[in-house]
Amino acid sequence: MRRQLQTMRKSLFDQGYLDEQFVQLEELQDDANPNFVEEVVTLYYRDSGRIILNIEQALERKPFDFNKLDAYMHQFKGSSSSIGAKKVKAESTLFREYCRSRNGEGCMRTFQQLKKEYATLRRKLEAYFQLARQAGPVETACRPK
Amino acid sequence: MTLSRESHTSTSNSILPQSANLLTENGKFKKSMASALPSGDQGAAEANSGNGGQMQKKPFTFNEIVLRNRLTALVVDGDNFCRLLEQGILQAYGLETQSVNNGDAAVELIASGAKFDLILIDMLLPILDGVEATRRIRAMGMRCKMLGVTACSGERERQAFLAAGVDMFVEKPLGPEILIPVLRELDGQV
Repeated sequence: MRRQLQTMRKSLFDQGYLDEQFVQLEELQDDANPNFVEEVVTLYYRDSGRIILNIEQALERKPFDFNKLDAYMHQFKGSSSSIGAKKVKAESTLFREYCRSRNGEGCMRTFQQLKKEYATLRRKLEAYFQLARQAGPVETACRPK
Repeated sequence: MTLSRESHTSTSNSILPQSANLLTENGKFKKSMASALPSGDQGAAEANSGNGGQMQKKPFTFNEIVLRNRLTALVVDGDNFCRLLEQGILQAYGLETQSVNNGDAAVELIASGAKFDLILIDMLLPILDGVEATRRIRAMGMRCKMLGVTACSGERERQAFLAAGVDMFVEKPLGPEILIPVLRELDGQV
């Protein structure tokens, strides 16, 4: 099961879903708080879900308020990058570029792709954390000085 | 552009919603500095995206600095999650932290006499943006280290934030390769 977990983790990086920021979060995890990363990711999805909703509602109003859309996405990009959500971050950057060039169609198209990546990552991380809980805590050691 | 009119100031023991459970009873971020114990490949922590999280030597990890002095930090970020995470990471390094969620609250806090060794400030903030807040904080004579930590990535934004007075412009996320040298300098370890 641990090998399966390692394979799953490797694929998340290989397929570009996560970047090294996720590893930095893992380094904050320890025996006292073995589910720290899962808790952080859970908090991220709860908080960012509200922003997604705000953006959806803003995209239903015409004409688009590109400044507001850009501000929402700035916030979303920041928190996504903080958990290492690489593909989500990339789509966020693209969305902001479309906001700046006042390209409404580009915004809508990118937002759809962003939501797909966001949902896909959530599914994959949920599966990963579920397996991690089943596999049990990793044996730990202090780093040599 | 105002996203929220609420002014929020918090110290390190009152920042997280109960459900997040990321704090101990003392309000400290749940991280032991005695060990760094990543999940994954045989306890290896190093990874780069695209190579399957394989072990590669990275110059910095979270537990490579132990502070000798008491250092304080202010986190200014309008996003709840980012503010909590940055504050928690600074606490994990051993800093005493406060946070506010808008630029106006940051300026007021400094104007009230609060002093910090380090300020992390985002660019897009409610009520008063990070650039103007930085300008006003510097105009008050505050010479502490200020890092503009933002999701903005353009050269124009970078120049504007630096011109306002931040010492470094950092695109989120703030990683140990940036933070550890800053903390070493502030702690007199350089």
